[in-house]
Amino acid sequence: MDEYIKVGDLRKRYTMGTLEVSAVDGVTFSVRKGEFMGIMGSSGSGKSTLLHMLGLLDPPTKGTIAIDDKDVISLSESEKGMFRLSRFGFIFQDYALVPELTAEENVSLVAMARGEGPESYSRRSRQLLSQVGLGDRMAHLPSELSGGEQQRVAIARALINTPEILFADEPCANLDSTNSRAVLDLFQTINQKMNLTVIMVSHENWHMEYFDRVIRLRDGKIHEDFRPEKTEAATSPLRL
Amino acid sequence: MFNDLRVSAFLATRSIQRGGRGRNAMYIIIIALVLTNMIFLPSVIMGAMDVYYEQTIDYISSDVIIKPPEDVRYIDDVETLLATVNRVPGVVRASARYPMAGSIDFEDKNVAMKIDAFDPRDETEVTLFHKHIKDGDFLGSGDRDQIIIGSLVAGEKDDTGEFYASLGGATVGDSVSVRYANGVVREYRIKGIINTKSYQADYMVFVTKDEMDAVTGPGGAQATEVLVKTISNEDAPLVKKRILEFGVGENVKTWEEALPDVVSESIESFAIINMISVFGGLVIAVVLIFIMTTIKTFNNRKQIGILKAIGLKKSIIINSYVMQVIFICLIGAIVGSLLLGAMVLTFTTYPIEFPDGNVTPIVTWAMIVENTALLFISSAIAGFIPAWRVTNEGILEAIRGG
Repeated sequence: MDEYIKVGDLRKRYTMGTLEVSAVDGVTFSVRKGEFMGIMGSSGSGKSTLLHMLGLLDPPTKGTIAIDDKDVISLSESEKGMFRLSRFGFIFQDYALVPELTAEENVSLVAMARGEGPESYSRRSRQLLSQVGLGDRMAHLPSELSGGEQQRVAIARALINTPEILFADEPCANLDSTNSRAVLDLFQTINQKMNLTVIMVSHENWHMEYFDRVIRLRDGKIHEDFRPEKTEAATSPLRL
Repeated sequence: MFNDLRVSAFLATRSIQRGGRGRNAMYIIIIALVLTNMIFLPSVIMGAMDVYYEQTIDYISSDVIIKPPEDVRYIDDVETLLATVNRVPGVVRASARYPMAGSIDFEDKNVAMKIDAFDPRDETEVTLFHKHIKDGDFLGSGDRDQIIIGSLVAGEKDDTGEFYASLGGATVGDSVSVRYANGVVREYRIKGIINTKSYQADYMVFVTKDEMDAVTGPGGAQATEVLVKTISNEDAPLVKKRILEFGVGENVKTWEEALPDVVSESIESFAIINMISVFGGLVIAVVLIFIMTTIKTFNNRKQIGILKAIGLKKSIIINSYVMQVIFICLIGAIVGSLLLGAMVLTFTTYPIEFPDGNVTPIVTWAMIVENTALLFISSAIAGFIPAWRVTNEGILEAIRGG
């Protein structure tokens, strides 16, 4: 399918006191299945707002979003929740793990919520954690893991329900360059091996080397939409 | 639905296991103390009421009491009545009381009161006065010039702290002069002093029925009530029914029915005090749980937002908080019950000394279950509201607000 995600004239306006702010202002684009797309732009350009609307976390003021030809804006709150649980994976800037759950339990939680049996989710969580290089850290609590390790747990959690789209909101913002590269390598591998659509927000220009495509926003509008050139580092073979 | 509850239980369990054990222990102790507070005062009141009921049965009315019909002063043909009642199945013995108003003089003291008479052989089977003679002896059949008096009638040499008029420290062997309402004056030697700890019983004096017959003169003493002792564990209303079936036309009442109105009103007052005590305890528990859950959910706003963002249902998140509250209540209730058990054990060994007798708190399973259920329901609501409020926030507001 060529146009897996279709976004039409998407707008988001906030009212701040008497002032009306247009965070996203008439954005139209489409995303192909299996595309690794970066949403870039300076602070306040509307990139996170756009990601939140695409991830059904924030309703748009106006416009359409269709995923796999399904109008997702008109879904009820509980249907949106179900949609996020079964078809999306989310990765947040600050990992957002449940502090009282071990790495394995954090990953299992999402599969458990989807109704999977204990044997199955336990096996798959262990498998995913091993694939992200945390095979020996499964029983550790988030507080016992480094930032990079926590983000890898978050990635495993995002993947456990075999989502179709992975949304990542500045996942490397709290990581050093080594860990950032490890996380981006992982995204790229997931994208390539699992044919997973990845939409990632970033403000780091060097991240572009990993993206198939970049949408650069300025003042809530698409300023650029282009395919960056791939470097050697971004096309190296990976573990997953 | 079941799977949602499973996920909620999983989150709740892990939160309790790994999230602030010290804080949870403190909440458990507070809940335990709240439950103890909710039950202990009512249990002491119940214990005090029980003492009063026991004293009423042991000294005042026995299990069943027979009085003359309304507007009639004396029981007609008491001997036949006693013979009839003593034949009723379930009756141990009946004892008639023959009162007459009078006044007692001892040295410079004078006390006006009712002088009761009974047949000592009957009375020892019906009441427990004979077991509570502090000094001296109980009356014997045929005693004519002797009297037994309650400890409050005897009084103390220094009577400044006494609530009732007394003889100012009369002791066994002392002579008292009794002036009866019919003008007869008799001198009696105090044979025994009764000390039951019941205000009513300790403010009574007794002579034998033979003596009262002599005081009354021709026709003999006249009874105003017959106390009926039933066999152990026999149902008093059932015995009352049988007595009526035996053709007794007098006014027959169980001990409960015979309680004065003031006592029934007191019981109602105690019930109100109990309710206030329980309500106060519940308010403390609800406020505590509400604050506890509010702080916890507020601190976890971001996490709640994330859980919603990744697709967990609101009900899963809310139930996980409610389950934590219920778990804390459950453990608190168990600890509270153990604490209550220990207190009851202590106060059974060392009863609380009330002026009217030694009181042992009475804690029933019904009290524990009822109060625990109230605590659970209130706590679950108090836990639900803050969790519901936070989960109803927008996902992004919750995530950013944390």
